Amino acid sequence: MARVLEVQGVSKRFLGLLALKEVSLHLEEGEILAVIGPNGAGKSTLLNVISGLLRPDGGEVRLLGRPITRLSPEARTHLGLGRAFQIVQPLPELSVRENLLVGALFGKPGTSKKAAEAWVEEVLALTGLEARAEAPAGELTLLEDKRLELARALATRPRVLLLDEVMAGLRPKEAEEAVALVRRIRDSGVSVLFIEHLMPVVRALADRVVVLDHGEVIAEGPYEKVAREERVREAYLGRGA
Amino acid sequence: MELLLQTLLNGLLMAGVYALVATGLALSLGVVGIVNFAHGEFLMLGAFLSYLLFAFRGLDPLFALGLAFLAAFLVGALTYWGLIRPVLKAPELNQMLLTFGLSILLQNLALLLFGADTRVVAPPYQAATLALGPFFLGAVPLGAFLLSLALLLSLQLFLTRSRLGLAVRAVAQNRLAPGLLGIEAEGVYLLAFGLAAALAGVAGVMLSVMLYASPSVGFLFTLKSFAIVALAGLGNLKGVVPAALVLALAEALVSTYLPGGGGLVEAVFFLVLFLALVGRAWRGA
Amino acid sequence: MRGILGLLLLFALLPFLPLGAWGAFLLDVGLFILLFTALALSWDLVARTGQLSLAHGAFFGLGAYGAGLMVPHLGTLPALLLGSLLAGAGALLLGSVTLRLHGLYFAIASLAFSEVLRTMALKLPFTGGPIGLPVPPPFGGGWPLASYYLAFAVLLLAVALSLWAERSSFRLAQAATRQSEAVARVLGVRVVRVKLLSLLLGSLVAGLAGGVYAMKALFLNPYEAFSLGRAVEALVIPIFGGLYSTLGPLLGGVVLVGLEQALRLWIQEGYLVVYGALLILAILFLPRGLLGLLGGRRG
Repeated sequence: MARVLEVQGVSKRFLGLLALKEVSLHLEEGEILAVIGPNGAGKSTLLNVISGLLRPDGGEVRLLGRPITRLSPEARTHLGLGRAFQIVQPLPELSVRENLLVGALFGKPGTSKKAAEAWVEEVLALTGLEARAEAPAGELTLLEDKRLELARALATRPRVLLLDEVMAGLRPKEAEEAVALVRRIRDSGVSVLFIEHLMPVVRALADRVVVLDHGEVIAEGPYEKVAREERVREAYLGRGA
Repeated sequence: MELLLQTLLNGLLMAGVYALVATGLALSLGVVGIVNFAHGEFLMLGAFLSYLLFAFRGLDPLFALGLAFLAAFLVGALTYWGLIRPVLKAPELNQMLLTFGLSILLQNLALLLFGADTRVVAPPYQAATLALGPFFLGAVPLGAFLLSLALLLSLQLFLTRSRLGLAVRAVAQNRLAPGLLGIEAEGVYLLAFGLAAALAGVAGVMLSVMLYASPSVGFLFTLKSFAIVALAGLGNLKGVVPAALVLALAEALVSTYLPGGGGLVEAVFFLVLFLALVGRAWRGA
Repeated sequence: MRGILGLLLLFALLPFLPLGAWGAFLLDVGLFILLFTALALSWDLVARTGQLSLAHGAFFGLGAYGAGLMVPHLGTLPALLLGSLLAGAGALLLGSVTLRLHGLYFAIASLAFSEVLRTMALKLPFTGGPIGLPVPPPFGGGWPLASYYLAFAVLLLAVALSLWAERSSFRLAQAATRQSEAVARVLGVRVVRVKLLSLLLGSLVAGLAGGVYAMKALFLNPYEAFSLGRAVEALVIPIFGGLYSTLGPLLGGVVLVGLEQALRLWIQEGYLVVYGALLILAILFLPRGLLGLLGGRRG
């Protein structure tokens, strides 16, 4: 299988503190990969480095075989990277449809207005936001916000989708729906890397799991295997001993 | 050689006042997160206070120092409470427009009240100089330099040694996650904004003797302070002093060595600002 | 849209209305309304990307001096064009460095830019320095209404640009950039380009307005052409009328510039007090301006 996303030896420092320490991981085509780890493990920093909002101090990121480490976030999006934020950030003065239209129009340069509008209708249907299409994005419920976040990333027609805790705060039933939605997205040909705190979601969704702790990869493999590892349990239960 | 050293000495003395004003600006930017275009108007307030007390009460500007500190602190705190607090969560564009509007309002109010003339406060010691070997130090610039240094040191001590100071620094570091600190943060914002204004107010008294009081005197210092803060890096209080030194020395050199430099001195800050920003853009910050 | 067309029609016909003894005065007021409203629209075009330009007075001044210096050699229209391009070049110089950085750097640098240009205009050998620069009227002064209709053409251009930016997909790019740069970038918007293009277009219009102003004023001095007051006007008008729209700055321009011409009869200095106060009040209590008050909904 082809590796659609590769992170090689990426390090990132904040004010002398090492947030990422030579992190390497990869995402296979058609795979759903979970990145888990305790708070402050560096998960969001990793996503920010991959999506280009942060520059790493060392290492390389490759998307579909191309090095993208020095590219701007928008150039990465044009190449097929999509990103949903953890803290929902709607463009509040635009409607839901317009939010998606931004992604559909500018996500791939050269997209005609017509093609973008048609694609937005599909995404609205897929994510169950049709009824709220005209609502100002600043007036959504939390659940709708989360859907918008996902839908907007999808609107850019990504090949690789990064999801940053998009299920946090959802009720179990809502999370279940979201899990099904992510599966449908994968089945449409998008590879997914997601960060998640909710272990049931990780278990249900992930083909493979990477565990980060203190900015380092400490375990990697199928959920069942990783969950049994001593280092992983220590990381989660604290390491006072 | 002597001319060069004398020039550098003049620049060094000026750097103290620059650092004082710019530190205030950096404080309101770093702690409250507000780009205060009206910062220099707190300075103007101090300068006019000094002038009025001197002209109508014959009061020595040394007395005005303490009064200006208190008055500017009060005005700064009121400004925060009445104008800044309501827009803390507004888009940055709105915040900047608000402080810019305040700057325009205060400058032009002063223009209506006092006219555009420059007014100098001239106590008996205004022109006194100390000879230091072949060099001359103005007594007033030297005093202003030492006082600025003392104020900056006290601020440093306050921020690192006192509980309240630690709270100020904590808020500055957590500004990106608002809502966590709630009401405490409000008090800290008020304090920081008041202190920022107070530093500018004191600087204004010094400048009323070294330079003059006029409606537009503060505006120029706002711009120079922005250049210094941009060079130092946002939220970097420690970088302000060296950055102030760079600007003051550059200005002193230009005014001494550039033919007809007198007018172009007022363009040096732009060069510093522009180069600092080019550097920043180059590094991709 | 009907409001915009109505206002434009009124301005087109103003010279032919029976205004009686007040005609000449009202025509002058009308001309200044046209120019400063165009300037305000050009400022709004930049504000739509979330950037605070305090350099619009400088772009105006660049256009004024560029056109003023060139008009004796090149004739009216080429001189106006060159003045406008000069303003555009200034905007590119300023923007290409600062628009890559956080928004506050652009605001600060744009303010510093205005101050420095005034210093330059005072010091450079060919600007007439503090004494000033005489400028001939447009087209050799043969046609009295020439400057009025030049001003009208500048406003038409500003309105057309503004409407284009409102109705094309450029609107979404600008709105996304304004509301969150990080989100806009992740959605594929080339935010630096959007900001730079908006600034360039805005500065070209501001430069044109400055050029026509020079030919109307017949005399330029650095304090007047590069006054901070011009930058203040450029931003108070849209904020008072209604940000991020075409009708807002038009309404604001008619009300405020008209008011200013009257105010100047009363007070020579310090009339900016009113603008400062208005700016603060509008930000605090009327963030959507007159349009918001009238119930207009912006998108």
